[in-house]
Amino acid sequence: MPEGLRARLDLQAVLDAAVEAVILIDENGVIETFNRSAERLFGWTAAEVLGKNVSLLMEGADRTGHDGYLKRFLTTGEAKIIGIGREVPARRRDGSIFPAMLAVGEVQQSNPRRFVGFLHDITLRRQAEEAARQSEARLNHFARLSTMGEMAAGLAHEINQPLTAIATFSQAATRMLSRPEGIEREDLNEALDQITAQALRAGEVIKRLRAFVKIREVRHERVDCRRVVEDSRLLLEADARSNSVQLRLQVADSLPPVTADPVQLQQVLINLVRNAIDATVATPGPHREVVLSAGLDTEGMVEVAVVDHGNGLSTEAAERLFHPFFTTKPGGTGLGLVISSSIIRAHHGRLAYRSTPGGGCTFFFTLPPLGVLPGAESH
Amino acid sequence: MKEKNTTVFVVDDDAAVRTSLKLLLRSVGLPVETCVSAQEFLDRFDAERPGCLVLDIHMPAMSGLELQERLNAMHAMIPVVFITGHGDVPMAVEAMQHGAVDFIQKPFRDQDLLDRINQALEKDRDNRAGLRERDNIRARIADLTPREKEVLDLVAAGKANKVIASNLEVSQRTVEIHRARVMEKMRASSLAHLVRMVIAAGEDTPN
Repeated sequence: MPEGLRARLDLQAVLDAAVEAVILIDENGVIETFNRSAERLFGWTAAEVLGKNVSLLMEGADRTGHDGYLKRFLTTGEAKIIGIGREVPARRRDGSIFPAMLAVGEVQQSNPRRFVGFLHDITLRRQAEEAARQSEARLNHFARLSTMGEMAAGLAHEINQPLTAIATFSQAATRMLSRPEGIEREDLNEALDQITAQALRAGEVIKRLRAFVKIREVRHERVDCRRVVEDSRLLLEADARSNSVQLRLQVADSLPPVTADPVQLQQVLINLVRNAIDATVATPGPHREVVLSAGLDTEGMVEVAVVDHGNGLSTEAAERLFHPFFTTKPGGTGLGLVISSSIIRAHHGRLAYRSTPGGGCTFFFTLPPLGVLPGAESH
Repeated sequence: MKEKNTTVFVVDDDAAVRTSLKLLLRSVGLPVETCVSAQEFLDRFDAERPGCLVLDIHMPAMSGLELQERLNAMHAMIPVVFITGHGDVPMAVEAMQHGAVDFIQKPFRDQDLLDRINQALEKDRDNRAGLRERDNIRARIADLTPREKEVLDLVAAGKANKVIASNLEVSQRTVEIHRARVMEKMRASSLAHLVRMVIAAGEDTPN
């Protein structure tokens, strides 16, 4: 067997043994080699695709733009993919699309120039990532439900208040109408106006509640932290009131927006404030206050802080604070801070705590303002 | 006897509930004053003003129970009707143990609340009548001569005239005269009545 032919056969054997799909193209994008793995991956036989343009394996912008990419690289040397490797959508013979990891290199000392692509199917990895994402979303949702469960007493109270007012106003109105002395129109008007206002108030509580516990996709959008605080206020005030704790808000007038999922931020906020309320319940009257503040820290990050004047953290609690299933509360899941901390990390922020001057704890998180990436020097 | 200027004081941090109670009480002709916090009520509190207190058990800063505790410590005798939520039975029980007239769960039928308020106002009238009676008794005791006071204490302690005479080193006849003067000045109809008055005079708050 001639030396050249032998080498070619050896090369083909090696290529066919490769796990990765290997595709060789010339400078016009025409397929020269298509190994066994490529045949399995795409459903084409080598004989069917040799001599055809490689774009038939591509999808979307790549399919129409590939000839252009090649030309540009050959004239300018500006690489879009060569030597980099990235995820691309790939098209099988039957038209179905799958995600592939593609690495492209230029074949050295070849004239005319040729390029080789290695790719493999990453459908399973994508599925695993998606499953992990969904399971995290379910866990977050479960945590929100569980938070609402813990807040149920306070929420029931918050709906019972307007119901009480409505019942009392309407009974007062009935009595006014049957007064022999005649009707105080002003009082009657007030009673009727208040009945409307209180019915709307009860509806608002239910609306906030539904927005918080609804199953939803995570969405990162431009968010004003003031709005997140405002959206959480009704629910938190209900919980504070039912524990005879005063909730005070200190929100800076203007805050730069952040990129975040508003419901997840609300979840963190509610978790931190609920912890603070629990820490506060045991303390005497004047200190039974939780302060929720939002502002800029010294480094220009948006900081949301929750200050309590409780008994602070024991050494053991401080050490295990962010461990899953560690809890100091009867009936606690031990997941609140773990989930909150992971939510804030996913937002490129930081969740931590410090001591409150004079006793108690301050839990806070910081988020980079919109357009500022953490760790970047300048923009 | 009818008290003048009887007022129902309403303390609730919820503006809507507070206003609704105000309108309800006004609609039945009861004078009403409202406070947004326990502290505001304490600041305005005047033990001389007859009436009763309708008190929300849940409030930030100072809860209804704490206000009750403060009033008890001051020996204030204003009767309290507590307004509670659904899950507050243990708190309501505590309030009753500390002398609350009654409690009512939100939301309530107006008549149920008005009945409790009337009961509380009646209790306040009785308390104030008792208080006036006690003050009258104390004034009568203050009118006794030192010797008559000594005789009163010994009579109330159940001593016989003979024992009193020997204790005070006077004749039995003299004790009898003092004793008659005491009965007259105290306007006592019987020995039992006299003893009841001495006990009433010694109490902080009438029951």
